[in-house]
Amino acid sequence: MLFDSFPFVFFFLTVTTIYFITPYNKRWLLLLFSSCYFYMVFVPIYILILGFTIVIDYFAGIYIERSTGARKRLFLIFSLIANIGVLSIFKYYNFLNENLEYLLHGFGLKNPIPYLSILLPIGLSFHTFQAMSYTIEIYRGNQAAEKHFGIYSLYVMFYPQLVAGPIERPQNLLYQFREKYKFDYDRISLGLKMMLWGLFKKLVIADRLAIYVNATYNHPEYQTGLTLIIATVFFAFQIYCDFSGYSDIAIGAAKVMGFKLMTNFNRPYFARSISEFWKRWHISLSTWFKDYLYISLGGNRVSVPRWYFNLFIVFLLSGLWHGANWTYIIWGAVNGFYLIFAIISRRYLKKINKVIGLERVPKMNQAFQILVTFILVCFAWIFFRANNLNDAFTVIKKIAAFKGPLYMENPSMLIYSSLGISFLILVELKKEYYKGHFSIFNSQYKSVRYLSFAMLIIAILVFGVFDGGQFIYFQF
Amino acid sequence: MQTTPAGKTDKNFYRFFRSLMIFLLIVGLLDFGIGNCLRYFFFKQESGLLYRSTFAMEKTTASVLILGSSRANHHYTPEVFEKRLHLSFYNAGRDGNFLFYHYAVLKSVLKRYKPKIVILDFRNAEFLKDKNKYDRLSSLLPYYRTHPEIRAIVELKSHYEKLKLLSSIYPFNSLLFTIAVGNTEFNKKRKEDIKGYVPLNNIWNRPIQKDTINLYPTDSLEIKIFESFVKDCVNANVKLYVICSPYFIDFQNSDYSIKIGKAIADQNNVTFLDYSRDSLFKNNPTLFSDMSHLNNEGAIKFSNIIVDKITNDMQLSSIRR
Repeated sequence: MLFDSFPFVFFFLTVTTIYFITPYNKRWLLLLFSSCYFYMVFVPIYILILGFTIVIDYFAGIYIERSTGARKRLFLIFSLIANIGVLSIFKYYNFLNENLEYLLHGFGLKNPIPYLSILLPIGLSFHTFQAMSYTIEIYRGNQAAEKHFGIYSLYVMFYPQLVAGPIERPQNLLYQFREKYKFDYDRISLGLKMMLWGLFKKLVIADRLAIYVNATYNHPEYQTGLTLIIATVFFAFQIYCDFSGYSDIAIGAAKVMGFKLMTNFNRPYFARSISEFWKRWHISLSTWFKDYLYISLGGNRVSVPRWYFNLFIVFLLSGLWHGANWTYIIWGAVNGFYLIFAIISRRYLKKINKVIGLERVPKMNQAFQILVTFILVCFAWIFFRANNLNDAFTVIKKIAAFKGPLYMENPSMLIYSSLGISFLILVELKKEYYKGHFSIFNSQYKSVRYLSFAMLIIAILVFGVFDGGQFIYFQF
Repeated sequence: MQTTPAGKTDKNFYRFFRSLMIFLLIVGLLDFGIGNCLRYFFFKQESGLLYRSTFAMEKTTASVLILGSSRANHHYTPEVFEKRLHLSFYNAGRDGNFLFYHYAVLKSVLKRYKPKIVILDFRNAEFLKDKNKYDRLSSLLPYYRTHPEIRAIVELKSHYEKLKLLSSIYPFNSLLFTIAVGNTEFNKKRKEDIKGYVPLNNIWNRPIQKDTINLYPTDSLEIKIFESFVKDCVNANVKLYVICSPYFIDFQNSDYSIKIGKAIADQNNVTFLDYSRDSLFKNNPTLFSDMSHLNNEGAIKFSNIIVDKITNDMQLSSIRR
């Protein structure tokens, strides 16, 4: 069930209405059943996979809490193997086999291992990571094991964030299932506004940009450098609006019922460096990798080469998390390289800035840093969006050659896309630098507020793409 | 004080309900006003792609009517048909639309008058199952309110189409810019059409490509629509020609859809002509604008061939009478 579909509207309205008339102590049951239904709308049988990891992690959590020393560690390892095992089979098995086949072919050998004919369960990487954070936190002593099987199941399956996050931590979410959330006007209207803004980003901006991006990136060999530059910039906004739009709807839907999910995006394209970008982009995943992998590897409290290695491996794995394809791995590697390069060159860049006098004009310096960061991020997105590595290199070559006219099958396509991006930038610019000024959506005048959100719906009806595809991050 | 939320008479709820009603009222009023404004300007257009659809559905009384996708639109030129058949002509082919759309246009036309000849341009892999074909029914949304005869076809677009069409703006979704341009004089000069026909003037300069058509899933609903199309023409005593026009593609196998289409046409005594592998065109790239579209020179040549067929047809004399 997609968040931008009519079935979801009916589902959300029904579940939320029943939620508020259900006694507090029975609400978890309603949410669990509705979450199961929500998940089973995609591929019903895959609920069994989810059920398998839920049972394993539920008991692992209890045993980890009860045990000490090596035994405790053993239960954690058992839980992690179960989770990573499921992820590996469904997400990486065929990819690894394909690469093995390629390798063996190089030696003139045949690959005896068969391929699996399976579909990737929707949102597997998200709920697997959320489940892993549960057992790790119990192991670290930051979280008590949940004894109520239904509540624990709901922690993994809570429908607003089940298929594409935010990847929650048990400390933030588990206790909320026992809270008594009342019908609160301000909170509900805030949640609904977030959902509407998310829907706008998805339908008006992301899906509109997708038309141009898909048309060009699916056949980059026929496109010109200028076209591919525009398509890459469009993709940067497409993926941002698609994923942050999803997150807004998820966080908003949860908020309506009283639940507070973590912020997942914080205007990432205003970042002044790559490291800042990763503090603003897909925050729930970045912090997951930081908390459970980077710090476990020693973080930056190790030798310099080891620090670089830690950074690189974290980003490499982050790329692999996104998909079983070399394009994602290279995308992760490029980001890892950016960070390491930024650390190495920090001192020299400061000197250069001093020499050319950029430090004396801080606003210009800031704008320059934002622009450079955006260009670097866009370059990395080429690998993320390209259908394969060949296509990615074709795109880069064509951009470098920078020849030929702009592909424009229909001028309205580019006009709507540019209008959408401009509006987004204006809204985010206001939020980033002019908080409390020029408020339209949060105006003190009720009529302005009503009209602004009504216009958002009208904009969706006028400019939205209603036959767009699913959310990009569902595939992960 | 209450202990459960179930029986709560909360001011919060009434406040929320009242605000929601006011908000929905504002949205409704805006939707009605803007939607009707868009409707007015949509039907006020006098040129362009959207206007051609309106003209085909609501105004044309041409004796020879062309229906089909972009291939229909660019392959049948009025000057040949009108000059040689002495019959009025309109090309109602529309880019990026499929059988569902063509059938809807036919239904609207047959409700108003009976053309003497209808030519349906049939594509290779016409019956290929593709969700995109249903999405493309959005071309018909502006006519949903005023054309009850096409409603059943439009509702094939999705389960929720009736609900979406409660909005006055939705039928004109993504058309704001096109409607605005369509109401300007500039649009008339931009891409001129001649009785619906839009000539393509460039020449294809790439070598012919081989294409092996594999078996593909067919859409049984689309086959039924085609059957209805044929039967409606036969019942209305309209002479129907189903024609698969030329491609600059070297097809290695015969196409499954063409086989099905021909079988249905044969059952109903309707002429089905397949030029998709015609050597005259296949060996002559200068007649093409791209692999799937003839240029103006190709269209004139092809139209002459079709008119030859029609004039040779035994029934032509009775059609003229």
